[in-house]
This record gives sequence, structure tokens and C-alpha cells, in this order.
Amino acid sequence: MTEQPELVIASSPTDAGIGCWDLHTGAEHLRYRSCSSPSHGLTCIGGRFLASSQSQPHNTKSSSSGSILYWSWNKPQVEVKSFPAEPINPLVSNGEGTFIAGGGASGDIYLWQVATGKLLKKWQAHYRGVTCLLFNDDQSLLISGSEDGSVRVWSLIMVFDDLLRGKARQPYEYSFSEHSLKVTDVVIGYGGANAIVVSASEDRTCKVWSLSRGKLLRNIVFPTIIDAIALDPGEDVFYAGGRDGKIYIAALNAFANPNNNYGLHILGFLSEQSKAITCLALSMDGGLLISGSEDGMVRVWNTKNHNIARIFRHAKGPVNNIVVVRQQSLLSSRGSVNSQVSSVKRHGVSLAPPLEKYANSTDENDYKAVIGPRNDPDRAVEASYISIQTLNNQILELQRQGSSSASEMEIERLKLDRSRSIQMIQQWEKKFQTLHQFCVTELLDGEQAGNA
Amino acid sequence: SPEDSHFVKVATCASLSDLFTRLNGLPNAKKDGISLSSKLIQPLLKQLNEDKFDAVWEEAVFLLCTILDIFPSSIQRHYDGVEDAIVLRLISGKCSPSMLEKLGYCLALLPKSRGDEDSWLLMMQKIMLSINNLLNDSFQGLEKETIRTEAMRLLLPPGKDPPPPLGGQSLSRETADNKMRPEHLQISRISTLIFCCCKLLTSSYPFQVAIHVLPLIALTKRVLMVDGSSSPGIAYMTTMKQEFLCSELPVLHSHTLDLLSSIVKGLGSQLLPHVGSIIRLLTNYFETSTLPELRIKVYTIMNVLLMSLGVGISAHLTDVIVNNSLMDLDERGTSSVAQQKIYPETTAKTSYKKRKHASTSSSLEEQPDSDVFEVEMSPTMGSLSVKIAALEALEALLAVGGSWRSESWRVNVDHLLLVVTRNASKGGWAKDGRSKLVSEPTTMWGNYQIAALRALLASLLSPGRTRPPHLSQGLEVFRRGSREIGTKVAECCAYALLALEVLIHPRALPFLDIQSTDNKYEVGNKWFSGISDRAANNTFHIGPSKKAPDESDSYNDDLYADWMRNSEDSDTVAADHGNDTDKSNQPQATLGDPSSEKLPSLDSTAVKDSKSSKLKEVAPNTVATKIPMDRDEVMAESQLSEETSKHSEEILPSKSETLASISSGKSSFQSSSLVSDGNALNPTGSEVQAENLVLGAKNNVVSLGSEKFVDSASRKEVAEASDAGFASSLMMNVDRGKELMHESDNESMESIPDIVDVEPDSD
Repeated sequence: MTEQPELVIASSPTDAGIGCWDLHTGAEHLRYRSCSSPSHGLTCIGGRFLASSQSQPHNTKSSSSGSILYWSWNKPQVEVKSFPAEPINPLVSNGEGTFIAGGGASGDIYLWQVATGKLLKKWQAHYRGVTCLLFNDDQSLLISGSEDGSVRVWSLIMVFDDLLRGKARQPYEYSFSEHSLKVTDVVIGYGGANAIVVSASEDRTCKVWSLSRGKLLRNIVFPTIIDAIALDPGEDVFYAGGRDGKIYIAALNAFANPNNNYGLHILGFLSEQSKAITCLALSMDGGLLISGSEDGMVRVWNTKNHNIARIFRHAKGPVNNIVVVRQQSLLSSRGSVNSQVSSVKRHGVSLAPPLEKYANSTDENDYKAVIGPRNDPDRAVEASYISIQTLNNQILELQRQGSSSASEMEIERLKLDRSRSIQMIQQWEKKFQTLHQFCVTELLDGEQAGNA
Repeated sequence: SPEDSHFVKVATCASLSDLFTRLNGLPNAKKDGISLSSKLIQPLLKQLNEDKFDAVWEEAVFLLCTILDIFPSSIQRHYDGVEDAIVLRLISGKCSPSMLEKLGYCLALLPKSRGDEDSWLLMMQKIMLSINNLLNDSFQGLEKETIRTEAMRLLLPPGKDPPPPLGGQSLSRETADNKMRPEHLQISRISTLIFCCCKLLTSSYPFQVAIHVLPLIALTKRVLMVDGSSSPGIAYMTTMKQEFLCSELPVLHSHTLDLLSSIVKGLGSQLLPHVGSIIRLLTNYFETSTLPELRIKVYTIMNVLLMSLGVGISAHLTDVIVNNSLMDLDERGTSSVAQQKIYPETTAKTSYKKRKHASTSSSLEEQPDSDVFEVEMSPTMGSLSVKIAALEALEALLAVGGSWRSESWRVNVDHLLLVVTRNASKGGWAKDGRSKLVSEPTTMWGNYQIAALRALLASLLSPGRTRPPHLSQGLEVFRRGSREIGTKVAECCAYALLALEVLIHPRALPFLDIQSTDNKYEVGNKWFSGISDRAANNTFHIGPSKKAPDESDSYNDDLYADWMRNSEDSDTVAADHGNDTDKSNQPQATLGDPSSEKLPSLDSTAVKDSKSSKLKEVAPNTVATKIPMDRDEVMAESQLSEETSKHSEEILPSKSETLASISSGKSSFQSSSLVSDGNALNPTGSEVQAENLVLGAKNNVVSLGSEKFVDSASRKEVAEASDAGFASSLMMNVDRGKELMHESDNESMESIPDIVDVEPDSD
């Protein structure tokens, strides 16, 4: 089984489209057209297709409604357009790609079901615009950061269930409000309830929170505003991309030399004299760090030796989103688009319908779960050959009926029957004779009486 | 003769099924396969409609399943015929359970042949409607009228035409030669149809299906809410019928729980909008259900829910799992396998019969009665398997949400699990080598022991507020278990000991990259060379990648080095001691924490080593000193250290008093414990060190006691550390402490007490 290649996709707030490169070979794939995304507005839905919210300056005329676009992997054109009720900035989907969450400029969070486009929930999450959204590693919590400086943790179960929400004191699990300015990025680590959340803010700090206790664990002050963070999979360190063009390495578990002069908990930085770092991502195994910069370059760093491994040129304008994905479609190269399309048709999978603008019905009965097409690859192995076993069983049964011992028993039984029958016959004969005797005597007696 | 033909038929079906399976393995035989199998369907259908032998039917249905699985399109033309034949057989009520299962499976596979969403939905709707009709008949008088109208409304929204009935005919039409009582027939039909639903939800189909979730959940709710008591004001039901239905109710509930489990598995995260109602349903059902098998199923569903929906759901399931497992794991009576009276599965029935008799006179209102009855019975296989399920649910809960707002229940659960595991091991560990010779209860007991051990491990590993209070007792249990060489228990215990080793010797692995920028440290591990291979033909080359072998040392953790350094440089004691003693006021804080109230008593084994009674004060202290292992704690401390440095000046002087008294007691305590198991504590096996310790030089002892802090302080401070004596070193600590605070690297321990002082636990 070959592993799906890791792809880097990048977008920018100017209309430069979405760039797509193979992380390890460096080959450029399709460039998806007409995308001008806000920060955190680019996401990949379950590895199946790309989605991006659109920043507003692009379509100032219809400022009352936002827009969210979908691209399939194999076509550069926009495939599906949705127009939510208000401009959406951050956009994120859960790992399976069943739900998509968008954060509105008004502070509302919208939650849609991807497969039906249904707006499942919309709730007032923050007092000001939502700037970043993400799901935790088991996809049961949604974490949002806002312009008002707060970071909130939402349990999806609570969001959906009015009764549970009614019982709780507040609709969210936690609200971290220690940031004094706009939250620019939030990441979460591994480990379910024990995970840590790292948030960056325009107040020049990154804060580390404990999810299980809802407490601030660490406050790291940087020399510049941090716009992007990426968390090392081992959670030794995290990378913080600053407006001064440096990527700072900050310690979580790692041993920090207190004598350095970068600042408390800051281990060092990566720099290439670029403009401000706007977004960061790590490869799946944490070996490569990908940074996007305002100068339109996407740089790939080796996290072990801190060298630049590769540079992709995205656009003249700034890059503001980078996502690393494993493409789930069958093929990734442009050459075989056709077979991919046909396979898509065969499996009945197409891109999802557009997202609803408003929640049409409040009736929960309308909610449909979509069970995707599933092919279990194990079936061939699982398929069992049964003939031998069946035949053996049947033969056993037959043998039980046809063996010599069985026939002997049968003979015995027949003999017994026979002797019993003979006895019976003898008895009957006896009775018959007595009866005959009786009748004859009766007859004779009667005759005698008559004669008499 | 008829026997012959019977045999031939069975053999033919089985061989054909094998042939098709084999054909599927060939690369280019798909077309042939389809044409061949479509030719076969007609005679197969004829066979199904004529033949009455179960054995022939079973193989024929299996053949049908194989074809449906491999060449589904070949059945397309005979879709209705197959459906009719199967449903007819299914409702006849003359099939063995295995046969019913095969029929249900076949029916569920049928939509594959048309290969579209509509046929799947239609099948689901037909089955659900049939179930609904059967339930209406069975539950007449047992539930309110509103429930059935609501159920119908969900299945068939008003204004929509009902689909054709399942199997082209009404299920209620009785077959002529029916010898079974109608009630019994209904229950078995409902069970099979529910099984079909499960299969429809969990089997794989090559198409996407959008399914309404609410009717499914409403169906499970409807069945689970029927407890056998007639609803007030309605008395249609004869006593006989009610009695019979009550006796069959557990079967129905069991199948319905299977359905719920399939819903959870099949829908995954898409269930989220309805999880709240499922939680409430399960919580309510748990209160009333007493039968072991049903409880096991509820535990299993909760387990699956926890695993699939993660942290978010753990908070809502905690109460119900903890309360019920506390009840189920009640230790009265279960102590060893010797006490096990082997009542083969009758427990359930006895307790149920009791209920039934109560129900004959009036409606079933004596439910509490059966509860009492259940508790009074001595442990049986049934209750043992409930305990296993309860332990597994607790394990999942601890794994997923062990630290998520767990203050209120962790102490109880941790304690319970230790007691349960200890009691489980009292009669000796199960030897699985003998399991084939002895009867089943022994293996069940073995499974129970393993479930208990695993749950205990989860309770020790799942991070809480403090160092796990039962760590030493738990280790003792695992050590004992690991001696049963070659058994499953030993495997489990060895794994547990490996996992717990990190708790005993916490280590902060050095971070590789930091140095690399400064001292040209080059990395060349496998991963890296892999990348550079792949990147070889690129414009950008990643640094040298040939250093693989000689780097191995640098990957070692620094534990060894620290231990060595510890014994060599007694100088470091000064700094370390300061750290240690600073924590002398931690105990109050720790004890104030609700989760650690039991600490002093629980730590009794640790104290046992030393004879001195005054060491009791120290015992919590040793616990406290190890708290910082918790990463969160460490980070919290250092994050606060800046602020606390201001306060430290006021705090430190007051501490130095307690410090003097405790440090003396402490050193003797530590030396005694170290002498007793110096080697155990010393994985590096450094003899020299052990000797030093035995000598009892205070400094050495303390240095070992504070090995946890070597990482933080000594590594950096070795050079500067003074050679001062014990008393003066105490004074120095104050300065040093301040110094460290200013530097405040992430592992500095100075601030622990200060955290408590400055920012009391807000929870």
C-alpha cells in the first residue's frame, strides 16, 4: 500500500488562487482559481476537497452575505458556491469531513453538515469577530479565538443538546480571557482531555492552556506580534511566526537554556530575512515546518537542522493560509484526472451541496446522517470457503445413518418389532378363538332355547 | 432416495459458493462471474420456494449472500423474488437462530444488488415499518397511545404514501401451518428484523446513504422504555399474554441495545446532534435494568461512545458510569474463585421469574423487589461478566476523560480499582494454561483479573491532580502478577510495569535541536536520511545524512548522566536541597486539595520503611515533591515564577523554620528507604552510588532524594555550586532560589509552594 503524498496548499488574501505542491517531491499540482481567503479561511474537508471562505473586500457589493467556495481536487474552477448570512472568516472541518464550522465577523459560529449542506447550529460565541477555529484531536471539542481576545472551548454535544446546555452554567466549557488583544492563532496538542492549547495574540504573547484544568500554564512574551503557531507533534516545542519575519522556537517540554538572550522559554529562531510570517504548518511527522510569508513565498524548513529544505513561490502578494493534507482521492497527479472523475461517478461521490444560509427548519427530525460509501478491503480475506466444512458435516450425518453399527441397530429393532408383532398376532388369535367359542356356544344355546 | 438429493443439494450450494469466491480472486473474470451467477438465480429461487429442509436453505442462503457480496448486480432482476422468498421464510417462525441470522444478513445485503441509495432507504423503511407494526401488536396495553402515533409519524410523515409491505405481503398474515403462539412469533420476527437494521447500518455499501436518525433512536427508545407494566387505564391485555411478553422482553431489549450499538458505530460523529438524547436514554435505562446481559450491553455501548466521541462526551457519561460501576463492583462476597458458586447462567432467569410471578397477579410494580434479589445472590458468572464490562467502561472513561473535571470522582474510582484488583488477586492469579481442562468459570475469573489490572493501570496512568496515590500499592500488585510467567496476567502486568516506569523515573529528554544551532550538532537519524533520499533530486539539499550510527548516545536520556553526576558532585546538593525544602510547605496545600485528602494514610507503605513516627509528616512531602512530574504543573510553575520571584523573599524566611525540622527527618527517612531498595531505585546499577548512600552522608542522601530536580537545577548549576556545608547551604538556597527564579527555566521547582500561596487553586 502506498502512502498518499502529503500536499501543501496555500492561499492568499489577494486573488492569487490556491497553490498546491507535493511536500516531498516539490512538484507543483493544480492551481485552484479565484480564491482570496481571510486568515484561517482555507481548509480541506476530510481530505476529499478544498474549501475556503472569501474575504470581503473581494465582493464589497454584497457585504451583507459572505461566501464559501469549494474546489474538487481535479478541477481548477470553483465547483460549489455558498453564501452564508454574514462574512465568514475562519473555516474548519472535522477530521472525517462531516461537519464544517465557520466563524462569522459578528462573533457567531455556524456549524453545517457537509453532506447535506444543512445549517445545524448557529450560536453567539464571542462579542466580536471570530478569528480562528479548530477541532481538538478527538473532534469532540471546538475551540474558537476572537478579536475580543478570548479563547473559548465548546463541547459539540452541548452545542447540539439544548437540555444539557440548559443544565450547565455556561454554554461553553472554558473561556480563557487572559489575552488583552485579538487572538491571532490557536493550536491544540494531542491527548484528549490532557491536551494543551496554545494561543497567540496581538498582545505579543503566546499562552499555553491546560484543557483538563482550564488554567493558564505558561505565558511567553515575544519581541514581536505572533500571527501563526505550529505545535510540534512531540510537543517539545512550538513554532511561532512573528511579524518581524522570524520563526521563534518556544519551549514546552524541552529544556531551555536560561542564559540565552531571546527571552523566557524562547529557544531560538529560524530566519531568512523575509517579511512577516503569516502562517505555519508542520508535516504530519513533524520533520518539516512550512511557513508562509507576506512576501508571497512558502518556505519549507527542516526542523532538525533548521535549514531551508525548499521554497515554493505562491504569489506576489502575501500568503495567509497553509494547510498540509493527505489527499484522499484516488489519484493526485494531473495526468489521470479522467479515471479519477470516472471513479467519482461510479461511487456516486460528488462535491457536497452548497451550505444553507439560514437554518430552514428547527425540526430535529429533519437531520439526516450520511453514511458514506464504504468498501471494506478485508472482504476478500474474510470471504470464506465453506464447501469442505459443509460436506464434512453432511458426510458425518450420512455416516451416522448408514454405518454398519447403525444397520445392526436397525436389524435389532426390526427383530424386536417382529417378535412383538408375532406375540400380538398370537394374542389376537387367542382372543378370536375365545370369541368364536363364545359365539358358537351362544348360538347353540340360543337355538336350544328357541327349540325349547 | 431423498437423503441423497438432500446431500447433493447442500454440497452443490456450498461448492458453488466457493467457486464464486474463487472466481472473484481472478483478475478478469468479473463479466463471466456476473453472467454465470445471474443464470443461477432463477433455479436457486425455485429451490428456495420449494424446499423445506433447513440444511438446504441454510446453504442456499449462504450462496445467495456470497453472490450478493461478490457479484451483486446479477441479482438485480430477481430482487423482488429474493426479497419475497427470504421474508416468507423469515416470518414463518420455523427457523433456527443461526438460520434467522443468515436470513437477516441476506436481506440487509439485498440493496447492494441495485446499488443505489433508494433501494437501501426503501428496505430500511419497510423493515422499520414492519417492526413498528409488530410492536404495535405486541405492546398493546403496555404503552401509551401517544407513543405509537408519534412513532408512526416519524416513520411515515403525514401525507406520504406507505411503501409496499416487506416481502410483498403483510407480515401479519399468518401462515397456515403455524404451530407457534402468535406472541412468540412476533418477538422472533421483531428480533430478526432488528438484526437486519443492525446489518444495514454497519455493512459496507458502495453508495452513500442519507438516513433519518430520529426514527431509529425513537424506535430504540420505544422498546427500551417498555418495562412490562401495563400503562394505567388500559387493560386490553390478558394476563397470559402479558406474562409471556415480560418473559421475552429481555430478548427484545438485548436486540434493541444491539441496534443502538450499531447506530453508534455506523454513524460515528454524525450522531452528535442526537447524542444528548442517547445519553439520557441510557442513563434512564441503566437505573431499571438489572439483568447482567443487558447491563453488559449498556456498558459496551458507553464504551463505544467514549471511544468514538472522546472528551466531549466523557463529562456527560461520567456520573452514570461511575455510579453504576460502583454498584456493580461492590465487593461484598466476591473475593476468590473458590467462593464462586457455579450457577450456570440461571441467575438471570431466576431473578426474572420472580418478577414474572409478581406480574401475574397485577401489573409489574414490584421491580425494586428484583433488585434486592439480585444483590443478595452470591456472585455468579453473570455478575462476573457484568463486572468485567464495568471495569472496561471505567478503563475507557479514565483513558478518555480521566483528567477532565475529575476531582469529584477520581479519588473514589482510583481507590475502588485498587481494592477490586487486590481482591481479584487474593485467591491467586488465573493460570490460563489450564483453561482447557477446567470449566469456564476459571477463564472468566482470569478475564476478570485482567480487566481489573488494565483498569488499575489506566487509573494510575491517567493524569490527575497529584501523583497517583496508589502507585506503590499498584506496583506491588503488578509485580506479583508479573511473576506468573507465561500467563496472560503476567503479560498484562509486564506491560503495566513498563508503562509505569516513566512515572517512577520521570525524565525530561534533552531536546536535540537546541544545541544544533550553537555547536554544529548534526542529526542523522533514519527519518532524516529518508527525507533526504526522497529529496535527493531536488534543488534544495538537506544537510548531511550519513551520521546515523555514531549518534546513538545523544539519544539516550539524561537519566544516567544525572545519576552519575549526583553521586560525584555532592556540591549540587546545595541547590537541590533548597528546592527540596522549599516544598516543605507543599503538603498543606496538597492536603487542602480535595483530591488528595487521603494522601497521608494511603502512603502508609512508603512510611512503613522508617520506624520514626515523626516521618509521617514527611510522607506527604515526598509525595508532594514528585508532583512536578505532571507536565502541566511544571509549566504552570515556571509561568508563574516571574511573579512569584517578588513574593519569594517574604515566603522563604518563614519556610526555613519548618525546613530545619523536616530536613533531618526526611534524610533519615530517605536513607532508610534507599537502603531497603536501593537497587530497585537505581536502574543504572551504579554500585558506587549505592554505597555512598548507605554511608548516610546527609548531602548524598538528599541529593538522591532530589534526583527529580537534577534536570532542572544541577545540570546548569554544577559548575557554580558551592562546597558549603549543610547549614550554610540552606542559607545559600535563599539566594540561589532567587537566582533561579530569575532564570526560571521551565523545570525549576522553586515556585511550587509559591503557586499555592500566590494563586490558590481556583477550582
